[in-house]
Amino acid sequence: MTAATARTRRRWWQRPPQRPDTSHQLQLGHHRATPYLFSLPSIILVAAVLGFPVLYGVWQSLYDRERLVSDPEFVGFANYIEMFQADTFWQSMGRTAIFVFGSLVVGTVLGLFFAFALFRVVEGLRFLRAVTVAPYIISNVAAAVMFRILFNSQFGLVNQFLGWFGIDGPSWLADPNMAMLVVIFTQVWTDLPLSILLLLGGLMTIDQSYLDASLVDGASGWTRARYITIPLLVPQLLISTVWLSYSTLTGLGVVLALTGGGPLRATQTLAMEMYTVAFRNLEFNQALAIATFILILNAVLTLAYVAIGRRYDYER
Amino acid sequence: MTDRIVPDDPPLSVPTAKATRAVTGTPPEPPRTAGSRLRRALRTALLSLPLVALVVWTLAPFLVTLSVSFKHRAEVFADPGLIPSSPNFEAYREVLTSDSFTSSFLNSVIIGFGTTVLTLLIGVPAAYAFARFNFRGRHLLLLFTLLPRLVPSLGLMVPIYRLAVALGALDNRLTLIVVYTGMLLPLAVWLMVGFFQQIPKEIEEAANVDGASLWGRLRYIVAPLAAPAMITIGVLAFREAWNEFTLVLVLTTTPGKRTLPFELYLMQGIEGIANFPAEAAFTILTVLPFVLVYTRVEKYVVAGLISGSGK
Repeated sequence: MTAATARTRRRWWQRPPQRPDTSHQLQLGHHRATPYLFSLPSIILVAAVLGFPVLYGVWQSLYDRERLVSDPEFVGFANYIEMFQADTFWQSMGRTAIFVFGSLVVGTVLGLFFAFALFRVVEGLRFLRAVTVAPYIISNVAAAVMFRILFNSQFGLVNQFLGWFGIDGPSWLADPNMAMLVVIFTQVWTDLPLSILLLLGGLMTIDQSYLDASLVDGASGWTRARYITIPLLVPQLLISTVWLSYSTLTGLGVVLALTGGGPLRATQTLAMEMYTVAFRNLEFNQALAIATFILILNAVLTLAYVAIGRRYDYER
Repeated sequence: MTDRIVPDDPPLSVPTAKATRAVTGTPPEPPRTAGSRLRRALRTALLSLPLVALVVWTLAPFLVTLSVSFKHRAEVFADPGLIPSSPNFEAYREVLTSDSFTSSFLNSVIIGFGTTVLTLLIGVPAAYAFARFNFRGRHLLLLFTLLPRLVPSLGLMVPIYRLAVALGALDNRLTLIVVYTGMLLPLAVWLMVGFFQQIPKEIEEAANVDGASLWGRLRYIVAPLAAPAMITIGVLAFREAWNEFTLVLVLTTTPGKRTLPFELYLMQGIEGIANFPAEAAFTILTVLPFVLVYTRVEKYVVAGLISGSGK
């Protein structure tokens, strides 16, 4: 950014534009094949495991087969048209919208709250950070089992807690309205460590003089957070949003292990729908159309977040 | 992307936020009265309330699971307290003697270490080449290595399953090791390139003058200096292999071939009535080994977690 502006406004007495930085490269002679020998295994493996299967999947979504054993035929966009005409697809779109939006709201609010809390910590940050990161090191399935116990309608801690206030807690995972809430909280619980650390890192880089100036002007804590700190956190909030959205949109583990899409398809997200179509109905080409749609939706959403984030980024 | 990650000028004179706060933000000590002391205590309590919330939010699921794992099946409903009235190891004995746990634990350990070793073996030389050598196609090849990081494992489920069926590679530990390594490599290369660029090249050039070969430089100079980054990658690779669920779900089909998360998932549906203590004990035993490692390498996990956000 600065280099580009410097180049356009350069005068003759100023330094010439800088060449690409190669100062980390060795100036020693080496065999011409060495760098390729070093890097090719990695490139080949990444292409074989990630690149090729995805492209193969997109390509195969244009094919279909009559029966499981017959040869695939090219059908163009027929799988996609069929997908858009299915009621189940639009149902799961609706559930996904609630899931992604709910996780974004809960995740951002909790992430900001905990990041602000950690920012004030003077001692013991190491311990608290270790606690914060704990959900990151366990699998989605383990998290699902834990939340199933936590939200159990008969002995779960949540309903016991509500019982102290005389509230008869709902049977969370059997209730179509409540199940989604539990899924959202579980998903956020597994994804929150990264958001908290990102936002905490952002808070630590904020120039303290802004806040000092506002203190002189007599701004209250809430005003400072609302008008100074949070606007300055936009880059970190953007990364956190992209991450939460990606993780919920493409996340299967938590939903599958917690509810399996139930009760009454209340938590049947797009990812679950893809899994069901592929591995329960064995319509693989149909499932590939859904998977491709999820990939495109994810890209579109990410671009939208970046566009919105740019508008509010004060330092740009 | 391949430019130096360290800034050109070391930020020696830039005051950190904390240092600035220490200089400008400390108010003069107010005179101490009983009232102000009470107010201070109250203020401290209020300020630490969010931290208590953070600890409860994170640890409550662990604690309730731990609690249930020490109860009998019948006790779970009769004695819902957090501290079991008569703690016992019945559930642990049940899980530890079951085939599903022992076989999947062994698989997870083998696949975890296999993925760690393979990721380092393939990723470190590649990152070194990208960081240190100038060669034709460097940027394009680096892009080919890093860009696939955007692919979610959800998009891989069906294609990788179909390919594994076609290649006869289902129910194979090696398949899982290779797949997990491939998923980890973009992150590993990204991390290591940045790290290698920070090691002064002059050290290596001096060693070259002294007659060290490329292998000698890698072995005695680069590897010891890069140890922290290599530990980070090793931990991340092990974590991925230990916790991954969506791909092992489709790549294994028979008992005895699965990893811990898959067996834990199956456990929930096998019996008509959920066996909560056994599920809880299985969860704790799945989580425990990594938690024990984690307390030693927490710093590296955090480093890897933050760097992984460059999606």
